[in-house]
Amino acid sequence: MTTTTHDLDFEVSTKNPGFNLPQRLGRKLWAPMWLMALMGFAAGIITAGIRANGVATGGAETTLAAQGHLVTGFMFIGFAAVFAAISFAIARILGVFRDGGGRVQETLGVEVHTLKMPTTAKAFIGLMMMAMMAILIAVIVHLVTAAGTAAGTITVADAATTAIALEAIRRLGVATYLVAIALGLATITDVLRFQAIRLRELPRSIAGS
Amino acid sequence: MMSEGFCSNSAGWVLAWSGNFVRAVVVAGGSGRRRPVGPTVDVCRLADTSGVGAVEGGLQVVVRPSIQEVTTMATIIHPRVRPSAMDDYRAPSRPRTIGLAIAVVGLVLTAVAFVANLVVTGDVAGREATLPWSFGLTTLGFGTIKLAIGVILWGIIIKLWLRVDAIKEALPRLAVLDPAKPVESGTIATPYGKATVSSQAPSELAIHRMAKSMWRPMLAMGIMAVAIGFLTSLTWADTGSLTASAWTQGLQFLGEGMLLAGVSFLLGTILWSIRTGGGEVQQGLGVAVKTLKMPNTAKLFVAFMMLGLMTSVAQFVGYLVVAAGGVNTAAWLAFLGPLRELGLALILAGITLALVTIGNVLRFQFDRIIEIIKTGK
Repeated sequence: MTTTTHDLDFEVSTKNPGFNLPQRLGRKLWAPMWLMALMGFAAGIITAGIRANGVATGGAETTLAAQGHLVTGFMFIGFAAVFAAISFAIARILGVFRDGGGRVQETLGVEVHTLKMPTTAKAFIGLMMMAMMAILIAVIVHLVTAAGTAAGTITVADAATTAIALEAIRRLGVATYLVAIALGLATITDVLRFQAIRLRELPRSIAGS
Repeated sequence: MMSEGFCSNSAGWVLAWSGNFVRAVVVAGGSGRRRPVGPTVDVCRLADTSGVGAVEGGLQVVVRPSIQEVTTMATIIHPRVRPSAMDDYRAPSRPRTIGLAIAVVGLVLTAVAFVANLVVTGDVAGREATLPWSFGLTTLGFGTIKLAIGVILWGIIIKLWLRVDAIKEALPRLAVLDPAKPVESGTIATPYGKATVSSQAPSELAIHRMAKSMWRPMLAMGIMAVAIGFLTSLTWADTGSLTASAWTQGLQFLGEGMLLAGVSFLLGTILWSIRTGGGEVQQGLGVAVKTLKMPNTAKLFVAFMMLGLMTSVAQFVGYLVVAAGGVNTAAWLAFLGPLRELGLALILAGITLALVTIGNVLRFQFDRIIEIIKTGK
């Protein structure tokens, strides 16, 4: 049953609804994503050191161009993963509120009121997926360009042009990710507001039951 | 013990007490039209006072055991981290709305730079004039969204305290409290790590005091650095000078690092709110105060944040060296680009751990609330 007594829509049930699918994913996936991010950043900074040494010692132009794409590809594997880890950690917090609120109400033997997924939460998930796709597509093209440049099938000039286009896509992806995170956090303010309202209702609910 | 009431002094400050809890709030208007204009600050419990002062949010108050009298006060100049008497727990969060609006502005700035970059992708001549300012504008856009995240986090802190107030009001009526027995202090194991048991709410951790005082300057300095960097990017686009290029990149990424550090400090302030609020609720009920010890994820969060901030400062120094000349510029720039990204990456890795810690601490608190409801102790 769905009910509205203020501007926040909520569902009523007799049992704790527990974590929903995105929240369960958040609980399971934040740690692998975090580790993948650390590996991406480590690979990126090591490759950057090798490339900087190549620049200082007059390395081959094609090698340096390929390494440039490789460095960016690795670093942005890291950024895609760390932003995903942050998003999953936010989803996990939302799940803790949903499950914890449900458990408290279930323990008291009252109707379990659970906030329906707000629009900000839906936008959070949608933008997060779009941002991740944008960054990952850019990363894949970076790695393909690196391989092509090293093999001689892509010229250094073309590699430079590709880098500029990919930079634009990556940046938009990062900005979209950050906005998604802002929306996820905005959802937490709604959940806190809902819980403050529900908590004050509980003594009356018990008295009425 | 005292019931309820208030007293004021000539400076327009009011001390109000309810039970044995004292709050201070600054008010404006005449005696008939008083309205709070500053934060309500929980000063101290009367049982703890004995003539000692308490400092909170820039406000210093000395409470005497017999007469509640404000003797010393400093101006509150900071945005509050606890709700004022005027905040309505039912109302939507204003910082949330403002934060989302700022985030949209940031996204628009980045989108403009995105289009500019795509336009000059195939235009070699146009790149030199466009890419510098589009870099500056993109980074300004990122900084704007990070500032927006900071504003929303501030809104979360206020809402967390309003939820604490709701728990304080509801829980005594939801649980049948066990008659007071002496609390056995010590350490217990929980699914979320070790926790301390005490009769009093735990004192603030130094890291929490630091977080509460540092988020504002970090956000302010960060957005200023990013904005000044955008201005130097215009000079870079105009003149193509290496100095302007180095200043733009170094300054803007230092600003980004500071903004993320500000966000980290806000997350630390959220952890303070959860810890302090939990302690206040349990102490107010007269039950054992169970507080989670600082988890390993929180310790790692601090380490990553500090390492990331130091890396951001190091890349800034590196760009200053490039601007000064006398080094292999191409080689330095080849390494400084990824290094500046690494600085932000480390802080972001720390932010993930802070969010995970917040999730764990909240689960611990829900378990504790259920325990109090079930056992009354």
